[in-house]
Amino acid sequence: MKHLIPEFEKWKRRFPAGYESSLVMPCVRRIQEDRGYVADSDIDGLVEYLGVSRMQIEEVLSFYTQFRRKPIGRWHVQCCRNVSCSMLSAEKLIDHLAKKLGVAPGQTTADGRFTLSTVECLGSCGTAPVVVVNDTYHENMSVAKVDVLLEGLK
Amino acid sequence: MPEIFINGQSVQAEASHTVLQAALANGFFIPYFCWHKSLSIAGNCRICVVQQEGKNWVEIACNMPVSEGLRVLTDSDLVREHRKATLQFITLNHPVDCGICDKAGECTLQDYHFEYNGERSISIDAKVQSTKYVELSKRIVLDNERCILCSRCVRFTREISKSNALGIKERGDTSLVRAAEDGSFDRDPYSDNVVDLCPVGALLSRPFLHQARVWYLKPTPSVCPGCARGCAVDLWHRKLEWRLRALDARQNEAIARVTPRDNPAVNGPWICNKGRDLAAIFERARAADPMLKGKPVTLQVAAAAAVRLLRDAKHPVALVSSWGSNEQLAAFKAAFGDGVTAFVKPDHVPQPGETLADEILIRADKNPNTAGAQALFGSAPLRFPDGTDLVLVWGEGFNFADLPRGAKVIFLDAFVHPENGYADVFFPISVQTERSGSYTNFEGIVSRFERCFKAREPVADAETIFAALGATAEVAA
Amino acid sequence: MPGRQLIMNFPVTATSHALADYRARGGYQALPKALAMPPQDVTKEVTASGLLGHGGAAFPVGRKWQVIKLNDNQPHFLCANADEGEPGTFKDRWILEHAPHLLVESMVITSYALQVRHAFVYIRGEFDLPYRRLAGAIEEAYAEGLLGENILGTGFACDINVIRGAGSYVCGEASGLLASVEGKRGYPRNRPPRLTVKGLFQRPTVVNNVETLSNVAGIITHGVEAFRQVGLPKCPGTQLVSISGHIEKPGVYEVEYGYPLQKFLYDDCGGILGGKKLKCIIPGGISTKVLTAAECEPLTYDKESLESAGSSLGSGGMIVIAEGTCMVRLLQVMLRFYHHESCGQCTPCREGMGWLHRIIDRIVGGQGRPEDLDRMIAISKLNDGTTICGMGDAAGYATVGILAKYRDEFEYWIEHKRSRLDGNLEAIAHA
Repeated sequence: MKHLIPEFEKWKRRFPAGYESSLVMPCVRRIQEDRGYVADSDIDGLVEYLGVSRMQIEEVLSFYTQFRRKPIGRWHVQCCRNVSCSMLSAEKLIDHLAKKLGVAPGQTTADGRFTLSTVECLGSCGTAPVVVVNDTYHENMSVAKVDVLLEGLK
Repeated sequence: MPEIFINGQSVQAEASHTVLQAALANGFFIPYFCWHKSLSIAGNCRICVVQQEGKNWVEIACNMPVSEGLRVLTDSDLVREHRKATLQFITLNHPVDCGICDKAGECTLQDYHFEYNGERSISIDAKVQSTKYVELSKRIVLDNERCILCSRCVRFTREISKSNALGIKERGDTSLVRAAEDGSFDRDPYSDNVVDLCPVGALLSRPFLHQARVWYLKPTPSVCPGCARGCAVDLWHRKLEWRLRALDARQNEAIARVTPRDNPAVNGPWICNKGRDLAAIFERARAADPMLKGKPVTLQVAAAAAVRLLRDAKHPVALVSSWGSNEQLAAFKAAFGDGVTAFVKPDHVPQPGETLADEILIRADKNPNTAGAQALFGSAPLRFPDGTDLVLVWGEGFNFADLPRGAKVIFLDAFVHPENGYADVFFPISVQTERSGSYTNFEGIVSRFERCFKAREPVADAETIFAALGATAEVAA
Repeated sequence: MPGRQLIMNFPVTATSHALADYRARGGYQALPKALAMPPQDVTKEVTASGLLGHGGAAFPVGRKWQVIKLNDNQPHFLCANADEGEPGTFKDRWILEHAPHLLVESMVITSYALQVRHAFVYIRGEFDLPYRRLAGAIEEAYAEGLLGENILGTGFACDINVIRGAGSYVCGEASGLLASVEGKRGYPRNRPPRLTVKGLFQRPTVVNNVETLSNVAGIITHGVEAFRQVGLPKCPGTQLVSISGHIEKPGVYEVEYGYPLQKFLYDDCGGILGGKKLKCIIPGGISTKVLTAAECEPLTYDKESLESAGSSLGSGGMIVIAEGTCMVRLLQVMLRFYHHESCGQCTPCREGMGWLHRIIDRIVGGQGRPEDLDRMIAISKLNDGTTICGMGDAAGYATVGILAKYRDEFEYWIEHKRSRLDGNLEAIAHA
């Protein structure tokens, strides 16, 4: 994470001095964007850089569902299963994705291309059901559309 | 001081207190798991609920400030209903394996269950299973199924020991107390306090694991001799009525465990891990017999030989033990007066790997009564005057190679050392657990310790030997 | 349109989120006006407007702000709550995507009123476009001297930082949000102390919802009277309602308080999907109590009316449920969510959420028992007001609400080991 420190320093200028702990969430997210996950060495680096306890970072990494400490597939296919999406066939969509990718939610395909996850409400209820691939929302999805979507992910 | 009413009774409460503190300070009991007087308020267990008069809901007492005229009920039907429900929640995923749990007998959850619930679980669904026997450190194991996530242990490492070594990972009903992955919990010299803090049987001491049911044990008030702090401790050992006869009898005279005894003036509710391991100090191989140049003799023969040496010595020097109690030190002073030149000796010095000193409890002086000894014998560094022809060494820690050439030695000690056989006269003496007395700590606070076990004859208390030697020496003079 | 509009009063285009467009439609006129006022007068205006919180609790905004003592020689903080996670809610997302400058301007004004040097926006981690739009707006504002040191030459300085969440519903609760901003697990805190006394880093802090804050600029620009003319005397203004589920035209609508609910559902939103009959609605995110079609009929969309029917405005996330939908399965989805999102800190919620989830899974699995339903109600009630944050209560409202009105569906499933409605959640065959 050392190469990201100049970026963190830039953020720091707008943060209240003496409250560096509020940089934990942004820094962890940036590290994950950079590496794909947060490695043990990143934790050590962040502990040193922000002066927070290691346990605090470990807790944060385990509490928030988006953070991960191991790499996942290149395409992270996340399917909402909350109320509004379920009311518009999200469950069928998840079943279809699982069958198509050959993995259960939470698993990664053997070729490392896809990780399938179910997630809770993504604020896309009006355009349900929603599938998020990495950071991009794909709304008003259907089995047919999701097939097209997967085709485009190489 | 605001006046509040607890169950209709007027109480003068400290303005800074919460209702829970005010209640406890005035003899009203409110149950609690997560609250602890020395830790921050977490307010997560929800068992301490009370009801304000006229309200139809409950609130937690641990986070409720007192205010003038506040009227609370600590035992109303609504309060009981909620406590019962909370216990149903807490035991929902708790294994209730008291039969094999070390905490049974001193478990808050057991006590409250009998007081406020007393019923089987009303759930018919399978319990959430979790990890068991997780090695949090070399000293402590964790049973996550028993854990009620009160966070006392976590707050302890953040607020008291400052190691930040524990935390809670994951979330919801699969939350797990865990130690930091860098092994910092192993380096926390106060880690064992979390075992006492744990209100249930989740955190357990590995050395004590399955060693004894606590109701077979009794605590004897004592003082930790591990450093000049002199923390108040309880030494736990088998009750007389539960003495083992068929099994290893040595267990009857063993320290089963050491726990802190709350003394706000000295250590508060904590002790360091060294204090937990006093058995390792006291239960080393013990010197059994008086000896003359390594030859076992009776106490009378040894005493007579020592008296002769004292009588013949022109320039006797004494090295006084900083592990001696105030009573022993006074006996020494009474016996020998100014007849010997006395120096206070550090019996113990810091061991490799031991925490030298910190801002919490641990002191660099690893002896319990240096202050008491120096008050009587001064703090001059040891220098044998010219012509020293007899040295009386009391206690451990003196290197016999430093003896003046040709000087005779009288040695009093409790343990087996090679030096025992070198001494002209050797007396085996009792250890702290075999007598009562007091130490004066580095701040001048005098703390008393009580006897746990009887010394085995002919092991004698040092003060008895001093009295015997002093009396005969004076007659001779 | 369901009444007059205060926020969605412009056409959405490819550039409507940008500074130039915002200025062109009258943006950043409130800021110089506010900066010319004494700070306490800004708070007075907002208090006088009667603006209510739009995040779920409908707490009067002015009363929250008034707790902040000016000139008390300690930093104050402001946090905009953009952790929009209440299922069924996506209205703040609309503001962040299409009117981020409205939020930025309002936050600078609020910071001025409360003497805040550093303000934060806590935005949920999944919101990618909303984040980029907001971050872009903030950079534009810095470039134009609307943020940072010496704003508009007045000497007032304020920074806004955006903190992105990472997947935790409880971080939408104000104190959980602050814990996350502090870089910790999102554990909510006990009150007292209130956050306005000891909030972020133990300093006085105001946490307001994005939509709530976004009303501030308008109140300053057009004045209290203009604001109070919209909506109802006790509930002035508008609510961005995000409507989803079995409805023909889902989306975000700005609804003037007091607007008839039926008219909104059938005229503005095109009625129930596929011409089906309405079964019920969940008016403000799944944590508000369900209202049957019959109960909905006489209602208007405002605090008093919804509360008279035993529900509440909540977060404006309205979920429309058509006839034929299985309420057992619906509640199962909700309880799975609450179980997944319980932070695990306090006993009733940590254990209760899992318990409720296991019971409903068992019922759906055909192993239900008649006493399960009363047990679920009891667990819900024991979470009402007994937890650190409102999540325990919320799950309870959802459970009690559905069980009270659709108990027969649950009893049927328990007795026959199957759904009376085929476990159907979909109004029409989809996908």
